[in-house]
Amino acid sequence: MNASASPILFVSDLRVSYGRIEAVRGVTLTVNKGEFIGVIGSNGAGKTSMLRAIAGVLRPAGGSVAFEGADTTGAKSHQMVARGLAMVPEGRMVFADQTVRDNLVLGAYSRVASDPKGVEEDIEKTLDLFPRLKERIAQQAGTLSGGEQQMLAIARGLLSRPRLLVIDELSLGLAPKILDMLFPVLTDLNRQGLSILLVEQMASYALAVTHRTYVMENGRVLFDGASADLAGDDRVLDAYLGRRGKH
Amino acid sequence: MEAILQYVLTGLSVGSVYAMIALGFYVMWSAAKAVNFTYGDVFMLGGVLTVVLVEMGLPLLLAGGGALAIAALAGAVIERVFVRPFNREANAIGWMLTTIAVGIMLESFTTITYGPLGRPLQTPFVEQPIRIGGSGIYPQELILPVALVIVTFALEGFYRRTVLGRAMRAVAFNRVAAGLVGIDADRITLLAFALAGAIGALAGFLIAPVIQASSSMGVVVGLKGFMVAIIAGIANARGVVIVGVVYGVMEKMIEGYLSTAARDAIGFTIMILALLIFPQGLFGRREVQKV
Repeated sequence: MNASASPILFVSDLRVSYGRIEAVRGVTLTVNKGEFIGVIGSNGAGKTSMLRAIAGVLRPAGGSVAFEGADTTGAKSHQMVARGLAMVPEGRMVFADQTVRDNLVLGAYSRVASDPKGVEEDIEKTLDLFPRLKERIAQQAGTLSGGEQQMLAIARGLLSRPRLLVIDELSLGLAPKILDMLFPVLTDLNRQGLSILLVEQMASYALAVTHRTYVMENGRVLFDGASADLAGDDRVLDAYLGRRGKH
Repeated sequence: MEAILQYVLTGLSVGSVYAMIALGFYVMWSAAKAVNFTYGDVFMLGGVLTVVLVEMGLPLLLAGGGALAIAALAGAVIERVFVRPFNREANAIGWMLTTIAVGIMLESFTTITYGPLGRPLQTPFVEQPIRIGGSGIYPQELILPVALVIVTFALEGFYRRTVLGRAMRAVAFNRVAAGLVGIDADRITLLAFALAGAIGALAGFLIAPVIQASSSMGVVVGLKGFMVAIIAGIANARGVVIVGVVYGVMEKMIEGYLSTAARDAIGFTIMILALLIFPQGLFGRREVQKV
């Protein structure tokens, strides 16, 4: 990624507060078209709040969000989806009382009435990414395992045909075996042109798959850089990759 | 024996009204995790507006359809103006106050403009009662359970088979997740209240020929419908329908074997006891913990 790359997402001095508690205190972050960006940091660093403000789940207290060059600060989540930003939320949030297929149909909510055929095709394509979901297509989403629910949440997000996919805590509660399956799918999607912003507590996974990584603590970005470089950076090794003995 | 049949039939009729009102509360609660306590008065509008439109010269069905449309609109307006702004925070209860107040205002306004007395609504089904032994029942009263069955299945079909219905369930299940797939949860909630408004008005339209349409017809019925919804567990449509019908039949039994005066005293006592024993409702899940 070079300096002339155009940003798909530009977040400037973003602030999020809950009452008097400031969760995000001026974060600036860029995702360029085609990039796979990671955000790591410990629990409570403000990562989720930042994502929620970007995706329109929360209204930021300050700063700005621009998506594909247009100011989207304070836009609502359904408006962001319509603009081409989909978010896979922390904890998956699949519609547990509906079938896998209905979850996928709802993922394409905004165009299923006007283009049912196209949505059907997209569902087939998306299921090819996750064959396990194909087997469970008629099951209630609530009966799926955690890993399968995460696949469904990603698939559901993809069905809105996003240009930027935002994922919050992909690894939460999932076995390494599942993660070894999920991360390559994301890498493939990224290679096909999808920009991805991934918030991840498992720093080792995030650093392995992303191009660049931001490190957040206490609602701020501490530093950022190429993921390959950060994977060897002392500060990252000590705080997030569990290297001991050096202070 | 004949008396029992009579009680059951009239009980089914009034129970269907409770069930439809309770179903409306279910629809609103699912979408907003709040309800509209003007709902008894929306039910009243269904009867009163039909009478007014008929008096203006509209044919019965057209008048009923008009009343339903206006009640649906009223439901939407009440959601937008008196529920949504007072339901922004988790566990907000401002909407209770506002909707109770607006309900009283609606009733007062109707009393002033329409008059304090009930007016009959003539339909072909209240001309001749069907004789059952010593007493009778109007065919109109038998329409109500039929309508309830149709509304229940139509609603279930809507929730299960249409995209809009699935979106409404998605909003009910998780508002944030619904927004993240592109559903405008506020708009869906507005539509849910409009839908509930139409269901309530339908009950009012169908029962008005039997009880006469008056400005005060909705107060107690609205309260009973809400209690039925709570007793059943407000998140369970089928449970709500069953409890509504059973409560109606039980009321008529108490009326018949004891007295009309004892009806509400005993009925509400049983409701309270049921709630004490089943705090989540007879068919309920732990709704509060889910939120």
